[in-house]
Amino acid sequence: MKPHRRKKLTIIAFIATGLSVAIGLSLYALSNSIDLFFTPTQVAAGEVMNGQRIRVGGMVKEGSVVRSQDSLHVEFMATDYSHDLLIRYDGILPDLFREGQGVVAEGMMANGSFEASRVLAKHDENYMSVEVKAALDAAERDRALPAAETEGAADGS
Amino acid sequence: MWQWFFRLGSPKWFYELSGRWLPWLVVAMTVLLTIGIVWALLFVPADYQQGDTIRIMYVHVPVASISLACFPLMAVAGVITLVWKMKLADMVAKCAAPIGAWFTAVALATGAIWGQPIWGTWWAWDARLTSMLIQFFLLIGVIALRSAIESPDAAARACALLSVVGAINVPIIKYSVEWWNTLHQPASSFSMAEDSPFGPEIWVPLVIMIFAVYLFFVISLILSTRTEILVRERRSQWVVDLVAADKTQGA
Repeated sequence: MKPHRRKKLTIIAFIATGLSVAIGLSLYALSNSIDLFFTPTQVAAGEVMNGQRIRVGGMVKEGSVVRSQDSLHVEFMATDYSHDLLIRYDGILPDLFREGQGVVAEGMMANGSFEASRVLAKHDENYMSVEVKAALDAAERDRALPAAETEGAADGS
Repeated sequence: MWQWFFRLGSPKWFYELSGRWLPWLVVAMTVLLTIGIVWALLFVPADYQQGDTIRIMYVHVPVASISLACFPLMAVAGVITLVWKMKLADMVAKCAAPIGAWFTAVALATGAIWGQPIWGTWWAWDARLTSMLIQFFLLIGVIALRSAIESPDAAARACALLSVVGAINVPIIKYSVEWWNTLHQPASSFSMAEDSPFGPEIWVPLVIMIFAVYLFFVISLILSTRTEILVRERRSQWVVDLVAADKTQGA
């Protein structure tokens, strides 16, 4: 390679590396604002103020969904498996909303619980057919069953 | 050692080679696209959670992943333009920008159409969606920059530099779903097992669609670059001969 070309290539490499580092560092510094939502742990740690409009994300805790009989009001726990947060919501939930599913709620903290004005469903990267899902569930039951039996036997003795 | 590299940069050589390859590429794309679309729309099983909405993935994922290939391609072409001043590299870069912008726009649009029923919203300002929107604006910026500068050489240099800088956004898009918490889910991991999430019955047609859309991108780029070659080289002898031969054939 001719010297003047080598020099140009070095300059370009230098600009690209320098800019990458600069952008990388700024993104790292901004990562709190780039995150779409707070986790229940962050809320529990007091990172958000009452009345501040935020988004909270987590999994809908199994067995925590309570629907009102005469209105659209619904309450459920969002969890990140270390802290839980009670979320209250009046409105239509997305189709994918269900227990064990990820959600992102928009709203604000009020008296220790979260008043949501909008709830979005977060879906995971696992795609499978109904048949595969059924087979997986059956396999899981089979694994759980012998364990429960031995436990029961131990209790009986 | 560098001889092949400079031969590669000859517009005439590229024009002749691509002319021979084009029919085969078109045949391969047509076959793959037909198989992929029919398989994805009719034979892929509905998802256990999303039902038939899952079929949007077979357009969204190929288009989005190929739109991510566009900026690195333009960046490589840009470095070649800046360092070796190869004319062909700049022609390819010029033609890639609008195609990449369209791919990015389609990825954003299909993503919104998918997001509405599944997430419950067309748009969220999360890291993946926002960085993808930035890529769209960067590509529009490259196109605008080229038409804003009158001297072709100066335009080529400016666009090359912007492409090298813009390519920094690509890893950000790719890893946005891992570095920050987002509404967009992380990338699925392929699984060979039949009875596991994202098994072959889901991903085989996806891979076929990715190849098909890749071919579509390459064919669009080749066609567009060939036109650009004829326009820019219109005064060179081989193009004059080519047009003359074409005229006598037509008459």
